[in-house]
Amino acid sequence: MSFSVLLIKILEYMFVAGWAGTVIVLVLTFVEDVGTLLDRKDENSR
Amino acid sequence: MSSTSNSPLGSNRVRIVVATSVMLTFISYWRAAAVILNDLGSSAFYACGIAEEAIGKSAPWFVLGVMLFAFAVRAVYVESCSMFVRGGVYRVVKEALGGTLAKLSVSALMFDYILTGPVSAVSAGQYIAGLINDTIAIADAHGWVPAAVHHLFNGTPQVGVNTTAVLFAVAVTLYYWRENIKGIEESSEKALWVMQITTVMVVMLLGWSFFTLWKVGGHLPPFPTLANIHYSQEALGFWKHSSLPHTFAILGLIIGFGHSVLAMSGEESLAQVYRELAHPKLKNLKRTAIVIGMYSFVFTGLVSLLAVMLIPDDVRTRVYSDNLIAGLAMNMVGPQVLRLAFRAFVVVVGFLILSGAVNTAIVGSNGVLNRVSEDGVLADWFRRPQKKYGTTYRIINLIVGLQLFTIIVSWGNIYTLGEAYAFGVVWSFVFKTVSMLVLRYRYKGERTWKMPPNLHIFGIEIPIGLASVGMVLLATAIVNLFTKSVATVSGLIFSAVFFAIFTFSEKVNRRKHAHTAAQMKEQFQLQPAESVGRETVGIRAGNVLVPVRDYNTLNHLRWVLERTDTHEQDVVVMTARISQFGSAAYGLSTEQMFSDYEQTLFTRAVSVAESVGKKVSLLVVPARDPWSAIAQTAHNLESSAVVAGLSSKMTTAEQAFNLGSAWEAIPEPKRQFVLQIVQPDGIVDTFRIGPHTPSMKNEDVVLLHRLWLNVTREPGLENIHHHDILTEALTRFARDYGARDREDIVKELKRHGTEAGPLPLRRIADQIQTVQPGPTHSDHDADRDAAHRDDEPSSPKGAGSE
Repeated sequence: MSFSVLLIKILEYMFVAGWAGTVIVLVLTFVEDVGTLLDRKDENSR
Repeated sequence: MSSTSNSPLGSNRVRIVVATSVMLTFISYWRAAAVILNDLGSSAFYACGIAEEAIGKSAPWFVLGVMLFAFAVRAVYVESCSMFVRGGVYRVVKEALGGTLAKLSVSALMFDYILTGPVSAVSAGQYIAGLINDTIAIADAHGWVPAAVHHLFNGTPQVGVNTTAVLFAVAVTLYYWRENIKGIEESSEKALWVMQITTVMVVMLLGWSFFTLWKVGGHLPPFPTLANIHYSQEALGFWKHSSLPHTFAILGLIIGFGHSVLAMSGEESLAQVYRELAHPKLKNLKRTAIVIGMYSFVFTGLVSLLAVMLIPDDVRTRVYSDNLIAGLAMNMVGPQVLRLAFRAFVVVVGFLILSGAVNTAIVGSNGVLNRVSEDGVLADWFRRPQKKYGTTYRIINLIVGLQLFTIIVSWGNIYTLGEAYAFGVVWSFVFKTVSMLVLRYRYKGERTWKMPPNLHIFGIEIPIGLASVGMVLLATAIVNLFTKSVATVSGLIFSAVFFAIFTFSEKVNRRKHAHTAAQMKEQFQLQPAESVGRETVGIRAGNVLVPVRDYNTLNHLRWVLERTDTHEQDVVVMTARISQFGSAAYGLSTEQMFSDYEQTLFTRAVSVAESVGKKVSLLVVPARDPWSAIAQTAHNLESSAVVAGLSSKMTTAEQAFNLGSAWEAIPEPKRQFVLQIVQPDGIVDTFRIGPHTPSMKNEDVVLLHRLWLNVTREPGLENIHHHDILTEALTRFARDYGARDREDIVKELKRHGTEAGPLPLRRIADQIQTVQPGPTHSDHDADRDAAHRDDEPSSPKGAGSE
């Protein structure tokens, strides 16, 4: 396996694993942030 | 004598409280979102066109992917802001990885900022040139272009798109160069207004596009598989002769993602506006993040998708690749004149948002370079203020010079500009995310929010979310190094040059500053404080605040000290260290706050205090706006009076108006105070800041008295007071103004306004009024332009008393 192919394999694993984790981040933060957005209790819009 | 005795260490050095928080006018999350979207939203005008040119028709899917991914990048910024109020790239990288890598990350960020200007300005120029050409072409098709003109141009007259774009970009950049030299400030009001217009355009665009889809149908762009990704020659850079991009499917996805990553440029603005967000800060930051996330997903993501679905392939790639939204407008169903009008609207909105991004780029880069120069990383020569406007003109000249160079070298080639732009965007994100990962283990301070999910194994935290985002960014950045040859070469050269300048300057400055610091330590003892308060400064309520700026005009300080018994009332000498918008993300250390200038200024102030023999407390506050700084400091210190010198640029009434406006922006509850402005000839103008009893014209007092006399003659109203008459009159006024007579009242007040003086001065009436005149004072009644002097009676005799 050449260096280029090895590098690409590593990058591919990083990208795929990274996206898998990112999807979880997106779900968790989106739910939390929408909750924050809809919570008008202490809103101080001017 | 000065505040020596206040020193906790009991040394002989003068203690100076240095506030490390910039005093800002706080804004709602809607305004914050508007400020960020002015930068982030502008990429909708060019991102998909650039991506499609590189990887083909499946580009909108990548743009949508980038917009989704931007939600996660935003979470990184939310976490960094929960740790540092100024949680931008420079601060975070410096904390995590040290000064060298911080300099490197700032170099990449500068590349991003400097390219934001040209890419936005050229894009706006492309939209304008496209509109001119299409309008002429339509006019020619209708025979409205004279035959002579037609012959002169050997066909339909057309302007050169790239040449027009370059000329426009140069003009816009020069315009904002001039404005920045003059020191204009970014306004969240203007940003909100631009975003309101943009939202109208986006709603119309989406509505009309979906209607068109419903009427004529359309096909989704091909999904991003290896077979559907068609690389252009430039898209593969150093890999253009390699089979690798055509062999590995995931590599194709990374390349596509890398070519679309510029769609999320502008995220750094999130860290910059955080400092200005109103309470509750973190909650409002999350709200801002979700608002800009959804907005940019719909605007940049959906509009890109619809453009590829509705604009026929040959026209889109040939005519509209550089002005995709204009192409979308022209390919809706409906009469041609209506489509052309809507396109003109798109161009106007594009001009507003893209030219705003040019200004943001200059202001942002100026802010970054100011911070690093204050950190001793850039030679002091760069920070020398402009003689007339006091701005860091050498830094602004450098930035704008580089931007003009970029515009001319690229000659309107938006693709090249966009490709290079992505280098700075992705690498500054990589530095930021890697630093945040490091800080998960190294940072022990307060952190109110962590990006989820986080696993705990044997007591060790594994930040899955942060690591995931970091891996995607790093993989994309590395692949971009190979596929974006122009960006890699230009980005590396640019970053290397900036890094070398930073490193060299730092070495020179370190030697110079060591000498200055040694000198300073002999005289002053700096005591940092996160915020301004009576306890930190060590003073009592009811003190006198004396703002100082120019060490040659301190006569107002002498005036105060000569008239104040400092055993009874404390005197605080304050100077505001002005920090421009865009610099908020970059931390100011105590030493940065207290430069040579402040040292000279306070040395003079102390010598004035010593000559009078009175004690003063010294304070430095960082601020975006000097008036806000004075108003907030007076509020925080519970000052009873602010005594200022006369400005060289304003009248006393204008100074009072500015301070009154800044006072209005302070959240309730707030204290009133008196403003006294000492003029060089010794005349003192006095104003009251905050709501207060207005001074009344003689005839009004007489009228009130006459009404009172008449009313008390009525049976059963013998015990009525003057204030009861006023209460009834004001209640009736409020009722009429809120209902049927509003227009008449406004008309009547306008008539009074014209008779009494200019409107801006009348507006001062709400916050500024006369206080009791002293023997040396003049006394301004701001309700009228005319000031009445202290020898005039403030109320008529015989007006009656209660």
